[in-house]
Amino acid sequence: MSEMLHYVWLGVLSVFQGPALLELGGIGLPLALVMLVAGLVTGIAVGATPGLAGPMAMAISLPLLISAFGFTPDALLPVFGFLIGIMKGATLGGAVPAILFNLPGTPDAMMTTLDGFPMAQAGQPRRALRIAQLSSVAGDTFSDIVLFICAPFLAVMVEAYLDLPEKTALLILSISFIAAVMGSSVGKGLLSVSLGLVVAFIAAGTDLSPRLTLGIDALQTGVPLIAAVLGVLIVGEIFATLERLWHDNHALDVKAASDGSAEDGLQPGDIRRIAPYVGRGAVIGAAIGALPGVGSTLAATLSYTMAARRARRNPAAQPFGTGAPEGIAATEAANSAVSGANLIPVLSLGIPGNAAAVFLILAADSIGGFNPGPAVFSMPEGAINPQLVTVFGIFTLMSVGNLLNWVVGGGVMRAMGVLAKIPATRLLPVVLLVSLTAIYVQETSMFAIWATLAFGVLGWAMRKLAVPVLPFVIAFILAGPIERSAREAFSASGADPWFLFSSPTSVILLLLAVVALIFLGREK
Amino acid sequence: MTKFYTPLLAAALLVTSPIGVQAEDWTPPGPITMYVGFAAGGGADTQARLIAQGIEETYGWTIIPQQLPGNSGLTLAAELAKAPADGTAFGMVVSETLTYSAQAAGDPALQLDKFTSLATTAEFQMGLVAMAGGTFDSWDKVTEAAAAGTPIRFATASDRQADMAWHLGQKAGIEFNIVEVRGGAGVMDGLRGGDVDIGWVAGAQSKSVQQGEMTNIARGIAAPLADSPDAPAITELGSDFYLDGYFMFIAPGGLDPAAREALGAAIRAVAEDAASEANALLIKGFGGPSVRIGADLDSYMAEADADAAELIKAVGE
Amino acid sequence: MPRLSFAHGLGLAVIALAVLALILWVPQDTVSGYLLSKRGRVSIGDAMAPGLAFGLMALSGALIFLEARRAEAEIRLTARSIGFLLAILTICLLALGAMIWTGPLAVALFGGEGSYRNLRDTAPWKYLGFILGGTGLVAALIALVEHRLSLRAVGLGLVTVAVLIGVFDLAFDDLLLPPNGDQ
Repeated sequence: MSEMLHYVWLGVLSVFQGPALLELGGIGLPLALVMLVAGLVTGIAVGATPGLAGPMAMAISLPLLISAFGFTPDALLPVFGFLIGIMKGATLGGAVPAILFNLPGTPDAMMTTLDGFPMAQAGQPRRALRIAQLSSVAGDTFSDIVLFICAPFLAVMVEAYLDLPEKTALLILSISFIAAVMGSSVGKGLLSVSLGLVVAFIAAGTDLSPRLTLGIDALQTGVPLIAAVLGVLIVGEIFATLERLWHDNHALDVKAASDGSAEDGLQPGDIRRIAPYVGRGAVIGAAIGALPGVGSTLAATLSYTMAARRARRNPAAQPFGTGAPEGIAATEAANSAVSGANLIPVLSLGIPGNAAAVFLILAADSIGGFNPGPAVFSMPEGAINPQLVTVFGIFTLMSVGNLLNWVVGGGVMRAMGVLAKIPATRLLPVVLLVSLTAIYVQETSMFAIWATLAFGVLGWAMRKLAVPVLPFVIAFILAGPIERSAREAFSASGADPWFLFSSPTSVILLLLAVVALIFLGREK
Repeated sequence: MTKFYTPLLAAALLVTSPIGVQAEDWTPPGPITMYVGFAAGGGADTQARLIAQGIEETYGWTIIPQQLPGNSGLTLAAELAKAPADGTAFGMVVSETLTYSAQAAGDPALQLDKFTSLATTAEFQMGLVAMAGGTFDSWDKVTEAAAAGTPIRFATASDRQADMAWHLGQKAGIEFNIVEVRGGAGVMDGLRGGDVDIGWVAGAQSKSVQQGEMTNIARGIAAPLADSPDAPAITELGSDFYLDGYFMFIAPGGLDPAAREALGAAIRAVAEDAASEANALLIKGFGGPSVRIGADLDSYMAEADADAAELIKAVGE
Repeated sequence: MPRLSFAHGLGLAVIALAVLALILWVPQDTVSGYLLSKRGRVSIGDAMAPGLAFGLMALSGALIFLEARRAEAEIRLTARSIGFLLAILTICLLALGAMIWTGPLAVALFGGEGSYRNLRDTAPWKYLGFILGGTGLVAALIALVEHRLSLRAVGLGLVTVAVLIGVFDLAFDDLLLPPNGDQ
């Protein structure tokens, strides 16, 4: 235990005594903190701009960050600081246009419009923003605490009890689960997963002559990870939104905002009113967030519906949909509580559960020296595990981020209301050029740009056909680990064809995968 | 074939240099692209970038590093084969790329004689590694466990390493369960997690060995390992071959001899300059610089090529 | 028999593609097959993982076909959508073409003896393609969506390009803007 505390301390130090941006009166301004603040402001701005979302900003800034900080271990915390800042800021920022203009800045802020906009219309926009901020930060903080406690224990358990066959089974379980819970049907979820796997398997084998290259020289190294991920996730979204705007130039325009009345701002008793809803929302969000693939939108919907049902039973309560503070609180607490818990499978197993987590893994992968997975949490005798120090550095950054969101988040949110007026028709083409350039700079090959556009078309088509895109990306990332662990397990067992069924644990995990596909997919 | 080729090359060099451009006068006609056949951020990548940086500072040439990892360095070789042979394109791989891997892949356009070897920078500190204090922390324990019928999981990070594991097992009468993992880091993670029992690591084990977490139970190279001078060589354990190799720079075949000499000299100067960052990294992470250029390097590569052919033949039987 | 919907067609197309890949692509484009024997042991070949993935794809196609009866009638690709996509792709193709060829063309016409490869890190040559192609991409896409070409769109393209040059090229020595890394 004391050893663990020592790591916590080292993690805190790695943030505060890490490389400094500049010295002020002899005290260095830690670079990681500066990047965190920059990320937070960017995140709130991006969240507040309709048509942009956190993952898009993370995608574009990643190649920039890597160019700026290089591939040394020193780069990890500043880069993670910025990305985590965006992640935390965007959930907060998404509420701004939702409340002020009835236009969700991010998909998970959809439910925020239901009570946030009526409250703003009733002359209390600042009160609505303030409630959103407090609930969001409270949910986020709770979620981070769950992460700090659960991730190390989960990792240690996995490392202690899971051998190669069980690790393979666990990976199979996670992608089946993702295929089952995301999107409108299991069939489409599985289609997305299988596409991701196939694309990732191109040229990724162990033969010295790469497989599935179709004789194309540029495919010898496979499809660049960043091209596939950004293509499907970002360029596909840009194409789809541009098409919507092409049909209707004003699809994303804002409606007039109302001015605040005299009774604006947080009202006495508000905190006590919303506290139980925030608590329940945070628990729902954290529980859902810990499962890979189940997004914050579901958490927000679930929390809002449950809160509304509770309110209906109480005749004295303000009905939901009329500007009830409880409605804003339930939604914002739940959708923010997803983000921290979502990192549990990322850090302890290397399995990303949402788009933000995908970019954290991408960052770790590109920089090197930090490989999310159980090995991160090992505490070797007589040596310091630098990866564990990085983890606690990340936890420190997350805590500081919450603190900042708590203290200054509200002010930044109010300032960003104006961003909702930027026309998406002009913003998105600029975002496309920036993304393509950033990808080129990282890959230095035109082929990467062509590939990005091709995957953009795929992402656009998937959106048109209601095939979920996130299973594609997650399967693409997990394809390598699944194949590797299966191959390793097979050869370590001395070529036993039944290696996947060699232990009760792995049989149970595989059964769960089948159960997930059959039963979770039936819900819709 | 290369053995026959080398003297010819040397003769050609002697004949052409007085009339051609002198090496000391050579300058690249444009910016140099330096391909790096390793993942960004790793030790090998840092090494290549620091050497490029050193050359830029000392000689004023522009070098633009570009990542091109994958397929044991053959991806880089294929790209380099298309580049002009005027000294504006070279790349860092390991010596086994153009010997073992090229032969095993069998593409005639990517064989050793289609490239120009520029300079090595460091030799592998190849060890057979196990967890210290574990069940397999000496070769005797490995053979005893094998005799007792315990399956032994042997992690390898390349086809050549796997072949060498198999070959060593054949000679020692042990049938290892050979597990191919990704890179030396993959071997070490597997050892820590208990997924594998022993494995080859080419130098990344140094810190763990010094801290007493892991131990080299044998060495794959002729010279004693800096961290474990007592570890026996695998040839003493029965192997016919060493598992040796170098990090090295290569250029397209038929490179202008003046460019070859100038680039080789530049790499040597930076790698061996005690004031350079590259030199400090080579000492800290790679057992010190080990630069071989020109005819000396050609003869090493020819020998390694012949050894690789024999190993592939031995495993194929 | 009920009429086949778009979703039925999608299911069948996915199955057909997966089966074709399993019969033609996977066996012909992998060296080691599903299982191979090397070093005295059987090990998993390079065809195994893609084979299973295409099997999964065939299964997903079957599920999509079976689920197709349930609603989702509105989900389809319309000719109008595909037309829009083609317009976007044409713009990208032209803009990237300009990006790739402007520099070499300019060097051939005005650069004298030098080759573009040797000038790929020298101003102004290295910027020409990126400025023309990048500005063109942004301006043309805005024009497409807004149904009119405006000077503001061109200006926005130029500003974006200028900022990107500042961020990537001026700030970092070792980074190359498109298309200069391919030379």
